[in-house]
Amino acid sequence: MTTEAILNRLRATRAWRSIFRRGPARTNRTRSLAIFGNVFLHLLPVKVREQSLRVRATYYLGTISFFMFVVLTLTGILLMFYYHPAVPQAYLDMKDLRFVVSNGVFLRNMHRVAAHIMVIAVFWHMFHVFYRGGYRPPHEFNWAIGVVLLLLTLLLSYTGYLLPWDQLAFWAITVGTNILSSAPIAGPQLRYLLLGGNVVDENALLRFYVLHCVILPLLAALLIGVHFWRIRKDGGLTVGESNERDKQ
Amino acid sequence: MSETNNKFEAGIESNALQAPQRVVFITPKTSAQVKEKADRQLMSYPHLMLRELIAFEVLTGVLVIVALVWDAPLEQLANPLLTPNPAKAPWYFLGLQELLHYFPPLVAGIIIPGLVVLALVVIPYFNVNIKGEPLWAADRSRRFLILIVSVGLLLIFLGLYRAWTVLVPTVAIAGLTIVSFLRLKRPYRLITFLQTRPLSWWVMTWFIAVALTLTVVGTFFRGPGWSWVWPWR
Amino acid sequence: MTDAVATAISERPEGSEREGIGRRDFLNEVAAGAFGIAGLGALVVTYQYLLPNALFEPSMNFRAGTPDLYPLDSVTYMPDQQVYIVRTGDGFYAVSAICTHLGCNTQWKPEVNLIACPCHGSKFQRDGTKIEGPAPRSLPHFAITLTPDGELLVDKLEVIKAGQPLRV
Repeated sequence: MTTEAILNRLRATRAWRSIFRRGPARTNRTRSLAIFGNVFLHLLPVKVREQSLRVRATYYLGTISFFMFVVLTLTGILLMFYYHPAVPQAYLDMKDLRFVVSNGVFLRNMHRVAAHIMVIAVFWHMFHVFYRGGYRPPHEFNWAIGVVLLLLTLLLSYTGYLLPWDQLAFWAITVGTNILSSAPIAGPQLRYLLLGGNVVDENALLRFYVLHCVILPLLAALLIGVHFWRIRKDGGLTVGESNERDKQ
Repeated sequence: MSETNNKFEAGIESNALQAPQRVVFITPKTSAQVKEKADRQLMSYPHLMLRELIAFEVLTGVLVIVALVWDAPLEQLANPLLTPNPAKAPWYFLGLQELLHYFPPLVAGIIIPGLVVLALVVIPYFNVNIKGEPLWAADRSRRFLILIVSVGLLLIFLGLYRAWTVLVPTVAIAGLTIVSFLRLKRPYRLITFLQTRPLSWWVMTWFIAVALTLTVVGTFFRGPGWSWVWPWR
Repeated sequence: MTDAVATAISERPEGSEREGIGRRDFLNEVAAGAFGIAGLGALVVTYQYLLPNALFEPSMNFRAGTPDLYPLDSVTYMPDQQVYIVRTGDGFYAVSAICTHLGCNTQWKPEVNLIACPCHGSKFQRDGTKIEGPAPRSLPHFAITLTPDGELLVDKLEVIKAGQPLRV
């Protein structure tokens, strides 16, 4: 029996059909259902304009940003299995990851590289959307959401930077929070809130850990969802022939 | 054909079966140009999904290769008593840190980033950005005067604070803007391109030039005590 | 010579002209295969990663001092290790103090000469043999040996059959 025959037999079983309802995606109806009937994918539109699929149109920068976020989440979750947000255990865990844990070095490198690429990608994405006029009505609010997502990306990167608890991390965050305290009126209070104290110590590490692993990723995920939704509801990506005149 | 109100009296047979005709009623302020064709649409599954999958595979491949070759740094254990020299922020904040070299923390760390974020958010709410007409499309002399005065003031301000890293790219972009204003006999393609650029393009390009310069200087040209170093030394 | 070739060509099996997989399907299969291998590789890497190579748990073998620290017919509970060092006329046993029912720490009751589990009432003799209770088995014995410098060494990773005392 060929693989295809076996697969077809499998697909015909009741068990399979109770999970995957639509059948093979060979008609436009079943292709629509592949998107529309999928809880994860139905955020996306069922049809897209051909122009928006061209690489030159967007360089897939938004896609790159999103996928980097996904990779960071997955590698980050795995890294959490060996990381204790305590002083100095955090640093020892970094050594552990590097020398003892199987593939620890590789996973940490992936996380770091993806973080750098994500920061570059979101900046580039913003500039590219600007230069092709993608902020024009009715997309103004989505542009604002994008700016907030940029800030979240930078904050995620910043909170993550402290976690290794090495000299690089400690002093980068010390400098950053000192800048924060120079904000008018609320500056010192904000710094106190962020650090959970007056100095960068165990409390700060724990707060940054919670921010980095729970609060900021959840916010980012929510806003990414809104961002995709708004693109779809406002008529798709602002690329293509009918938008040629919009180009800056 | 009546023009001002929407009551149309065409004066032709209205029985579609007897006299099938297509008629276009053009109201005022409407372009008579009809869009040639609506953009072709494709099913997200498979076309978009397949491309996203390919993008994901390519990205994963790149990530894996770089992760195998390059190691994330790990310095010594954090020591609150020993400040490294220089103590540098992550690269995406180095531009800000370079700016801190010239301006007090309140300005460089809070006010300027705050203004930048605000400026970004309000871009879509200004008509001049929506229309996007070239900077020199109208009011040439007046706009040029405004440009010279504002850039001049900015340069004086930057010079007073000795903020060379900001000053140099500002001069460069201002130079380009002036070139785009000039009515040259046989300009290069680049110059023709610049002549069509709207104000928002110039502002954003200036911003990117300054941000890039600040970041590059902060990354490669700053050593101990934030002193100037040549990276090849 | 050409005849043989001509015959060979004309005798090509039926349907082999357009047989074989088409280019599109071939590329699809290669792509799917590559994706599958990459995915499998990712799973293997993740699985390897998740199994720790170094544990920071207390050591599973320990020294229990010299034999003369233990009087004849005594049962000594080692609280850090959860092991009873039992000395009988035959020699030494190292009996696990962890109840075989659900893992509670048992207690040696000298007044009634048995080991009792406080959780569900299992009772064992001093050599670990189960007397009564919901526990399914007797308490296991650990390998106990004598080091060259005369100390008792218990290895909790090595379970031995009951009835093999260390004769000293």
